[in-house]
Order: sequence, then structure tokens, then C-alpha cells
Amino acid sequence: MNSREQILSDIRTALQRDPQSPRQPLPASARVAARVPGDASAEMQMLFNEITRLGGVAQHVPADELTRALEQLVQQQQIRRATCWNTPELAALNLPARLTQLGVQLVSPHADPRALAECDLGVTGVDWALPETGTLVLCSSADKPRAVSLLPRVHLAFISPSALRADLDSVLDEVKGERYGVFITGPSRTADIELTVTIGVHGPKALYVWSIVK
Amino acid sequence: MSVTVNLFLTCLGENFFSDTLKDMVRVLERLGVRCEMPDGQTCCGQPFYNSGFHDSARLPARQFIQVFSQTQGYIVAPSGSCVDFVRHHYPELFPAGTPEHARVQDIVARTYEFSEFLVHVLNVTDVGAYFPHKVTYHASCHLLRGLGLRQEPKQLLRAVKGLELVPLNEEETCCGFGGVFSVIYPEVSRAMMEAKVNNIVASGAEYIVASDPGCLMNIAGGLQKIGSPIRALHLISVLAAQ
Amino acid sequence: MHLPEHIDFRANVQSVAPHIPRSVRQATTRFLGTRQAVVDVLGNERWQALRQAGHAIRLHTLNYLDDYLTRLEEQVVAAGGIVHWARDAAEARRIVLDVMRARGVRRAVKAKSMATEEIGLNHALQENGISVLETDLGEFIIQLAGVGPSHIIVPAVHLTKEDIADLFTRKLGVSAPADPLQLCAIARTRLREEFLAADVGISGANFMVAETGTLVIVTNEGNGRMCTTLPPLHIAVVGIDKVVPDLNALNVLLKLLPRSATGQKMSAYTSFITGPRRTPQEGGPQELHLVLLDNGRTRILSDPLLRQTLLCIRCGVCLNVCPVYNHVGGHAYGFVYSGPIGAMLSTQLLGVRAAAALPFASSLCGACAEYCPVQIPIPEILLRLRRRVVEGDHSENAVAPLTLRASARVGALALRLPWLYAIGTQILAFLQKPWQREGWLTRLPPPLQRWTMVRPLPAFGANFRAWFRHRANVTK
Repeated sequence: MNSREQILSDIRTALQRDPQSPRQPLPASARVAARVPGDASAEMQMLFNEITRLGGVAQHVPADELTRALEQLVQQQQIRRATCWNTPELAALNLPARLTQLGVQLVSPHADPRALAECDLGVTGVDWALPETGTLVLCSSADKPRAVSLLPRVHLAFISPSALRADLDSVLDEVKGERYGVFITGPSRTADIELTVTIGVHGPKALYVWSIVK
Repeated sequence: MSVTVNLFLTCLGENFFSDTLKDMVRVLERLGVRCEMPDGQTCCGQPFYNSGFHDSARLPARQFIQVFSQTQGYIVAPSGSCVDFVRHHYPELFPAGTPEHARVQDIVARTYEFSEFLVHVLNVTDVGAYFPHKVTYHASCHLLRGLGLRQEPKQLLRAVKGLELVPLNEEETCCGFGGVFSVIYPEVSRAMMEAKVNNIVASGAEYIVASDPGCLMNIAGGLQKIGSPIRALHLISVLAAQ
Repeated sequence: MHLPEHIDFRANVQSVAPHIPRSVRQATTRFLGTRQAVVDVLGNERWQALRQAGHAIRLHTLNYLDDYLTRLEEQVVAAGGIVHWARDAAEARRIVLDVMRARGVRRAVKAKSMATEEIGLNHALQENGISVLETDLGEFIIQLAGVGPSHIIVPAVHLTKEDIADLFTRKLGVSAPADPLQLCAIARTRLREEFLAADVGISGANFMVAETGTLVIVTNEGNGRMCTTLPPLHIAVVGIDKVVPDLNALNVLLKLLPRSATGQKMSAYTSFITGPRRTPQEGGPQELHLVLLDNGRTRILSDPLLRQTLLCIRCGVCLNVCPVYNHVGGHAYGFVYSGPIGAMLSTQLLGVRAAAALPFASSLCGACAEYCPVQIPIPEILLRLRRRVVEGDHSENAVAPLTLRASARVGALALRLPWLYAIGTQILAFLQKPWQREGWLTRLPPPLQRWTMVRPLPAFGANFRAWFRHRANVTK
């Protein structure tokens, strides 16, 4: 008997289970009530409050002030190199052009990880968000490489109100079809040294979340 | 219609807290309760069970069952841990199919811890006690988590005339008795006891009150060791004071 | 090998340096405080509903474990992953080594994983010429220092920033100041190089989702993401008890875990990994291997009460609230798992021959059970394991000495005889006379001297029955 068969057999013996007998469904006590959301703007505000509480920066940016906001960010965070997701939403914002205009060098999101590691800024969208916990959910694909939100020092995420979901349960339903997703709640952190909370360990040191308003 | 209580003395209560047992009779009689003392009782078996001797624990348990199954009325003990043991572990030691099972079910249904009995059976919180002192309260683990009695002892204390109840920091943290634990790991028991004693001293109380003889032995010994004037008292003895 | 042959809890306690429990207590106080704050935000009713649901989900999964593991394997394979099954630690190590050797691996980076510590993976890899770097900051620090973890979540909490600065200076060849922010920055730079150069990333998983074949990894630093994204090969070693039925189960478990562990509503990063990358442009490992680890877990399944040991989601709250743990720290428990979960799990994984001391390392106060997010009946389990130690059960023979078991029997028999008990109480009251002073006994013969070495015993004084009888006669 190979290990797989041995382990499964040991389990069945331990549980006194007949493998032919059907599995009972999860009991009703295994479910909890979903959270009821407030109105759309209250939800967005809740998300922003949570992100701020965690040391991120969340703001509404008027569409015609996008370049100015980017300029401020580039100056504050000394952005010299940036990389972006290759999505229609970010393309519609004309991000690569705006950044280049500000003197920022654009690196392909498909570049070698070492090149991405030398980027100061990674720009992504947000697939879904959870206001209650301040969580952003980012899935990946050829156009949305994983490292863009991981390697650069600063992570800038553009969020649309349609990404908001009331409860973790609904996000999990959405994520079911995806092969990879990361739930991001604030910038990276640790309290390993004398319990002193330090922001910015291996993941991004700074998290910016912008919602473009017309 | 008079209420009868069969006194469940507990081995620690009997050997170290005779005065508390006498006070228990006084308070119950003051409340119009008739007290009986089944003489054949020894020990409920908890120390054996907690040490892992589940088989051996059945021996004293059978004695308990034999003696108390012959009684009528309530069975009341001045100890949360003993009642918790009978209530939650006797049915496990004597499950359906064993000769003792029916008697165990009967006994379990009418066995109570003292403050539980006063508040939930007699529906009494004011026993006419007078104890004009500053008192702080330690929540014994089995009383608190085993029997779910968080408010009842304090309700009784608050109804005592002249008594000032002051808060105890880390009130619900274990005092370090733990039965055999105290002699298996004395260093850890000591650290826990000293933490409890420090909190008691810091509370500013004159008396520390608890409902379990085990906790009281431990805490009283700890206070004695540092020469503290604070006295450890069973809740029942406070209620007996007039 | 690294497995302890005999854990002497008392000796370990006696040799603990006092600064360790002090720092441990700072950590536990902090985490309990932040936990309470987020539980209060949810409200007690919602929290209790979550605990109940968490218990139901985990128990259900264990009750159909073979079914869910089979499904998990199907799904992981369908997503392009490779699944291995390891009966014990040796087999798990062999599997990992074989996978690595076949791919010419020389450098490994590792995210925090108790399962890999349980099987002694690091040592085995290093013996075979593969360098393994712990990347979780706390684990990185204790790896450099060559010491074990003092707490499950913050393993290096017993070290001061000065200790760590000194460590970094000596071992990393940098000038490290005693400042947490700068020490983090040093670790970040050093480890970044390693993440980019590593041939393999090793991780555990907090949960494995049967329905979708997904590994769920809960972290805060980003090292978990680095280890499972950058190297071309990802190997996950996960205990078979970590499987959950479906993604929706995580709706409950992810609400319980971060809150219980550190008082966070959600950890900074929760990764959902289903198979290796689909396209090179996406980034991520080309190959994903999942090693399912038994190592004694199937044995634990056989008893319905003890089975509940495996409900554990490794949040660490039982440690935080345990008064024993708070006074001794993690090292005293002698194995990877400490505190109440250690007392339960280590005993059952190592056997009572090695770990008999652990089920007794508890005053049975029950605080752990009150806080456990999945409602494990911890004191009940410890009591059952105590029975295994002294009386033996279907799983193992007793290890308590025969003399002890005999005296317990004799004592128990004596209590069947009320007349003997009555005489006994009077004899004790008499025999104590030379030892008694002002109502106290300050010295007792062994083994009871273990009581009096800590505090005096009140004098024996059983006079209630005589009082009651006299009173009854008087009133007649």
C-alpha cells in the first residue's frame, strides 16, 4: 500500500467510516449571517477609514486632478521607476503617459523580478474590496502580474465603487473561479522586534488607494 | 413547604474549613432550610480523576452515589469544583448501561453549589448579613467556567450590609491551586499564587473572598507567608456574619 | 534527530531565565488587548456565532477527512499542482529532498511553518547541502541566534532590540543600530536578495480548500508572498488536518483567525494559491508541490474527544490567555507547539513516553477553552490525556510508575470505607501536632513538602460532624 492509500485507510479506520456512505452536508450551525451594508458612499468612507487606520493613504481624486496627485506622490515618495498592470481600466486613465510625463521611467510588468524589485512604484487596480476590514482583493493574470503589488516600495491601487462588497462571503464567491488572489489589508508590517509595530517589512512600505471621481 | 438540604461537605472543606461548614448550616437555617448530613460521605473522587486515575475515581464516586442516592431533597456543597465534577464527570464515569447511571442522573439533577443554590433555587440574594469591611472577590475557575457562575457570588456580596466590594485586578485569572498541579509543578503554582496575592494586596481590601476551599487554602497560605493582615474568607462565612 | 525523548517540564521551568516570561507576558497582554477591541467591535453575540460556526465547520471536515482530502488532491492536480502524501516526518523530509535534488536546488527561502519545524526540515536540508533561510522576521532572528521560539506568533519576543542589533552585526556583517525600524530595514534588504536568488520557496498553509484546491496563507510581512511568488518552485508542507470543505468556510475561519491571534480584523496579506502560474507573464512559481503530512494525526482522529485537538487553527490565543504559559514561556514545553495546544498536540504526536509531563502542565482553569475560536474542549482533552499517562488507554500504555498507580488504587479504596476516612481525618489532626504552629503547617514530609515549599498549609481540623451531631442531639 502506498502512503496515500495507507493514510486514507488509516483515516477511515480511525473514523470508522465506510467510504461508500455519503457525506452529510455541513450543518446549519456552520453558517453565519452576512453583514448588511450601508449606502455606497458610506461603504467607501468606511473602507477609506480602515485603510487610514492601518497606515495607508486613501483618497478620492477628481479626474482632472489626477496628474497633480501623481506629481505629489512622485515627489513625496521619490518615484523614479514604476510598473503598472496592463488593464483597460488603467489604460483608460492614461497612467503610463502621465507617469512618463512626470519623469518616471516605466518598467514592463513582465520584466525580470530584479527589475521589478528596483521599481519604486507598482500601480494596480482593485478587483474587490471589503470596507469592514479595509481589505483590497487583487487577482492575477498575464495582464495583472503578481509582483506589481509586491516588489515595489510603494503600491498605488485604483479602486472603483463597483468593487465594494458587503461581506467576505460574497468576495469568496467571486474568487472561486480565480487561480490566484491576494487579500491586502494595509501596508506590510511586523511586531517581531520588542512588539514595536514597524510598517514596511518585505512587502510594500506604503499603500495608496485612490478612487477617481468625475 | 420546607426545603431540605443534604450537606456535601467536600474533603477539603471538612479537613480545613470546619468553620465554613458550620456557617453554611447557620445561613441555610436562617433561610428556613432544614439541613441533613449524610454521614457515610467521604470524597467525591475529583483528586483521583484530575490526576488521571479515572478508573480509581469510580471507587470514591460509588460511595458518594450510594450515600447521596438515599437522600431526599437538594445536595449542596461549599465548592464549585466538587459540584462541577459531579455534574459534568459523574455521567461520563457512569454512562447509560452502568448500574449507577439512573442514580447519578437523579443526584446530578439536585446537586448545587452554595451560591447557585441561594440565587437560583431559593431565589435569595439578601441573607440578612452584616459585614462592615472592604472585601475583594476572586472568581474560582470551576465555579466561573465549569458552572457558569459569574454574577451570583457578587450579587450575594453586594447585598451584605456595610460591605464595600472593591475590584480585584485579574479577578478571573487562576490562583495557581489546580489541585495536584500545585504539587506537580510547585514553581509555576508559586508564580501564579504570588501574582494573585500581589493583586489582592494592591486592591486595598481587608478580606479576600472566594467560594472554593482549594483556592482559599492556596491564597490564605500565600498571604500568611508574606505576613499580610488581609484575611481569606469563604463567601459563606461572610454571609453568616451578622 | 531533533525529536525530544523525554520532556522534563519541571526542569525546563526551573531553568527559564526570568526575562523570558516577562517579555512573553508583554506580548500576550498586547495581543489579548487588541483581540478584545476587535471582538467588542463585532459584539459578543456575533463573535459567539462565529465560534460555533468555526467549530461546526472544522469538526465536520475532520469527520469526513478522507473524502475532503481526496477532493483536495483532485483539485490541486487539476490546477497543475503535484500532491505527495507523507505518513511521517522522515517520509516528508525525503519527499521534499527528492523534489529539490531533482531540480538541482541549492538555496531555499522559507515562510513560517510549524509543520516544517515539526518534521525538522531545515536540519535535513542543511545536512544535504541546501541552504535554508527563514524569512519571517522573528524566525529569521531566532535562526541567526540558534534558539527556539518563545511564542507562536512573535518567536523572538524574548530578545531585546540590543540583542538583535548585536546579532545582526555579528552574523550579517553590518553595523546594526538598536532600533526596530532600522533593524527591519536591514532584514528587508538582506532577505530581498535571497528572495530573488532562491531556487525554491517553502511554506506551510493555514488552510487548504478541498472544493477548489486552494492553499490559503495568512501573513503580515510579505515574506509569505515573496516565498510563494518569486522562486520557480514552491513546496508547501501541510498537516492533513488543515483542510476545509469550501471557500465559504473561510468566511468564518478568516474572521476568527486574525482577530484571535493578533487582534487584527484581517492580516496584511492573505494569499489564495491554486496551482502554479498559468502563464509566465503572470509571474509566480512554475511548479507547485503539496506535501500532505500525517505524522500522527490519523491516530488522534480515532477518539471523538481527542479528535477535537485537530480543530486547532493555530491562532495562539490559548497561549496568550494561559496563566501557566505566561509564567514560563514557550521553551519549557520542549517541542514546536507550546501552551495549551502544545500540551494537547505534542503529547499525542510524541507519545506519553516522551511527553507525559505536558498534560499536567495546566491548572485546568479553562480560560483557553473560553477563548478558543473553534471551541476546543481543552481541559477535557487534557484530563483524558492524563488518564492515558497514568492508566493507559486503547492508544498507549500507562507510563506512570507502578507504585504510584498502586497507591492511587489503595487511596481510592480507602475512600470506599467511611469509617476509615473518619479515622483518617482524626489521625491527621493528631499527627500534625509536632509540625503545627499557630494554625499552620510550614513543613511537611515528601511529597507534600512540594506544597509547603511554596506556602504553609492550614492545620487539619475536621470537627464539623461532631458539632453537627451534637447540635442535632441538643435540639431533639
